[in-house]
Amino acid sequence: MKQKMYIKGVGMTKFDYSQKYWWQFAYDAAIEALKDAKTGISEIDAIVFTGMSSAAGGEHQTHKVSFLSGLFKTNVPIIEVPSVCGGGGVALWTALHLEGFKNILVLAGEKLVDNKSEIVVDYILSAAERVMEQTEGMLFPVQNALIWQQYMKKYGGSMDDLSLIAFKNHSNAALNPNAYFYNRPMDLEKINNSPVVSSPLRLMDCSLSINGGAAAVVSTEVTDIEVIGSGFATDYILTFEREDITHFKATKLAANMAYAQAGITPKDINVAEVHDAFTSVELISYEDLGFAEEGKGGELIRSGKINLKGEMPINTSGGLKAKGHPISATGLAQVFEIVNQLRGKCGERQISNPKIGLTHNIGGAGGSVTVHIFKKI
Amino acid sequence: MVFYQCSKCKKIWQQSIGVCPECFSELEKVKTAKAKVIGISKVSISSILHPEVPYFALVLEDELGNKWAHKSVKEYTIGEEINFESNPNSVAIWRTKYDIADSIEKVFELLSMSLNENSKIVILPTLVSPNHAYFRDNTSPEFLEAVIQFLFEKKIKLENIKIATQSFDEIPIEGMAQKSGLLDICLKNKIMPLDLAKLNFVKKGSLEIAEDVLNADIVLNLSMMKIGKAGASENAYRVLKKENFASLKYLQSEEDIVNELKNSLINIITLGEADFVQKQNKTIVYPGLILGSKSFLNLDRVFNEIVASDLPEILKDVDIQNIEITGRDIKEVKLINN
Repeated sequence: MKQKMYIKGVGMTKFDYSQKYWWQFAYDAAIEALKDAKTGISEIDAIVFTGMSSAAGGEHQTHKVSFLSGLFKTNVPIIEVPSVCGGGGVALWTALHLEGFKNILVLAGEKLVDNKSEIVVDYILSAAERVMEQTEGMLFPVQNALIWQQYMKKYGGSMDDLSLIAFKNHSNAALNPNAYFYNRPMDLEKINNSPVVSSPLRLMDCSLSINGGAAAVVSTEVTDIEVIGSGFATDYILTFEREDITHFKATKLAANMAYAQAGITPKDINVAEVHDAFTSVELISYEDLGFAEEGKGGELIRSGKINLKGEMPINTSGGLKAKGHPISATGLAQVFEIVNQLRGKCGERQISNPKIGLTHNIGGAGGSVTVHIFKKI
Repeated sequence: MVFYQCSKCKKIWQQSIGVCPECFSELEKVKTAKAKVIGISKVSISSILHPEVPYFALVLEDELGNKWAHKSVKEYTIGEEINFESNPNSVAIWRTKYDIADSIEKVFELLSMSLNENSKIVILPTLVSPNHAYFRDNTSPEFLEAVIQFLFEKKIKLENIKIATQSFDEIPIEGMAQKSGLLDICLKNKIMPLDLAKLNFVKKGSLEIAEDVLNADIVLNLSMMKIGKAGASENAYRVLKKENFASLKYLQSEEDIVNELKNSLINIITLGEADFVQKQNKTIVYPGLILGSKSFLNLDRVFNEIVASDLPEILKDVDIQNIEITGRDIKEVKLINN
C-alpha cells in the first residue's frame, strides 16, 4: 500500500442454506457495510467483487461487474477478482492497492450450495487442477488429509489436537448470531466420533460449505480502524509439486509481507481469524503465521492461549469450520469479525480490549494467500 | 512419470509448457522410473468425477524426489512401489496428462508393443464429418500429430507411413479432412492422405479389405471414442470397400461383420482417443483418457463400461469379465452422468 488505508464499514449476511440469488447475498452484505460506513453508493468511487458461484444452478453469469452496476445504479469502475476460497482476501488486497480512489466497496456473495453434494463438491473442485489432480481423486479434503499426514509423519501431530480446534471453533460459533452453528455448540465426543471422510480427516475436521455474503468499505479517509499490513502470495496449484508439503509457503510469504509493512511481530497480534477450511490447516497455519514454532502448533491449541478467554484468541467468529465457508465471502467475513472485535462490538464473544487483529485467507489448498493486519486507532 | 525440465535453471514442471519462462530454453523431457507411495488417504466422499467410494488417494515420489497425485482402487502401503504390468492381450487404460505422445508411448508399453524401424504403418484416423475438432466427431489434429511424432521418434521412415480412410456417405473426404484440421497435419508432416475408396481392395472371406491395409505391418486405428457408440469398431469398418460393407450390412448382422473383420485384421492396433469425448446428445465431456488394444471390440466394450453407457448392439455379447485390463483400473476412471 502506497497510502494509508482504513476500514470505514463492514457487513455480512448470516451464513446459511437460504436460496437467495448469489447477488442478493452480496447486495445485502454491501448495504450493511455502506450503512456501517455511513456512506451512500454515490460516494463509492470503485467496487471490487469476488465470487465463484454463479455457475451454480445453471445461471452462469460471467458479466457480474455489469450486473452489479445495475444493482447499485452506478457507473464507477467495478473489478472482479475471483480467487476461490481466498477471493475475499484477494479482493481486499486489490482494493487496498488501488490508487486514486477515496472509497472502495469490496464485496462477495456466494450461493454455492444449491444441489446434491456430489454436484457442489464438483463446483468447489473447479478450484483444483483438473488433469493431474482432480482426475486423481484429489478433492480438497483429500489434499489436506495428505498434507496433514505428511505433517504428522514429520512432526508427530495428533488427531486430538485437531479435535480441540474443532471444539474451540464450534464453541465460538455458538456465540455468533451470523454463524450457521449459532447456539449449537458441539461436544468433543461428537467431534472425535465423526466419520472419516478422507483418512485421517473426519467430517468434523472439515469446514462447512454454505451460502452467504460479506462486504467492507475501505477508504483513504481516517476512521477508527487502520489497515497496517497487507500481504499476498501465491503457490503452485499442483499441491505435491511444492517445495514443502507439510506447510503453506504462500502463508509464510504473505504473513512476512504484512508483518514487515505493519512493523510488528506475531507476538503483537491480539486476535486473529485464521483460514480453518480444515482443522489441520488451522494448526499448520499457527506455525506459518509465526504464532507457534514449526512442529509446535499442537502445543499452542493445547495451551488454551488461543481460546476465547486466552491471550490471543483465534477464530472468535467460529471460523470457516462452524460459522461456515461460503468460499469467496469468507475472507471478507473474517474482516467483519476482526473489525468488530477491535471496535468492541462482538457481544458474547467479545474479547478483552484488542488493539491489533489479523486475517488469514487461503484460496484452494494453499494456492493463493492473503494476510491483513488491522489496528484500532 | 514424465516431467519437463529447464536445462539451465533446472526447474521442473508436470505440464508440458514447452519453454522456460525465465531463460526461454526449450524444456527437456525427463522420464523417471520409480513411483514409491509416500502418502495414502482412504476417501469415502463421492463426487461427479469419483462416484465410486472408497478409493485411495496416493502421493507418489520418484527417484528424483518429484511428487504427484495418484488414485487407486488397490490398497497400498507406505514405501511400496507401484508398477503397471504389460499384457499384449489386454485393453490398456491410461490417463492423458497434457502430453498425448507420452500417453501413446505408455499404451504401447502396456501392450508390450514395439515398432520395427522398417515397419509399414497405415494410420486410420476417424474422419466422419466436416466439423471442426471441438465437436469431437473426428480424430483430433493434436492426436494425429502426436501419433506421427511418436512414429518418428521410433525411427519409422516417412515413406513407410500412410494416412488413409474413406467416406461411407456422400460427404467428400477432402472437405472433412480440411475442416477437421487433419489435412493440415498430413501436409505439415509431408504425408499425403489416401482415400481408400480410390485404391485396390482384396477379397478375404466375405470381406473386401483395402490392399494397403492388408499389406501394412501395423494398422493404427485411431478411434475418436463416443459415449454409447462402438467407435473403434465403426472406424475399423472403413478398411472395407464401401459397397461391400453396405451389402454385408444388408445380408448379415453387424456382430458377424465385426467378428469376421476382427479375425481378418490381425495387424490392427486401436488407440482410443478419449481425452474429450462426445455424449449421445453431442455435448462434450472430459474423461481424460487414452485406451489401447489389439481388439477394437474389447476396447469399445471397456470404454462404454468406463462411461457407464447403455451398450450398442454389437457390444452386448462382449463380456467385460473376460477382458483383461492393464494400466488404470476401470473403477479408477469411471464416470457418471453421461
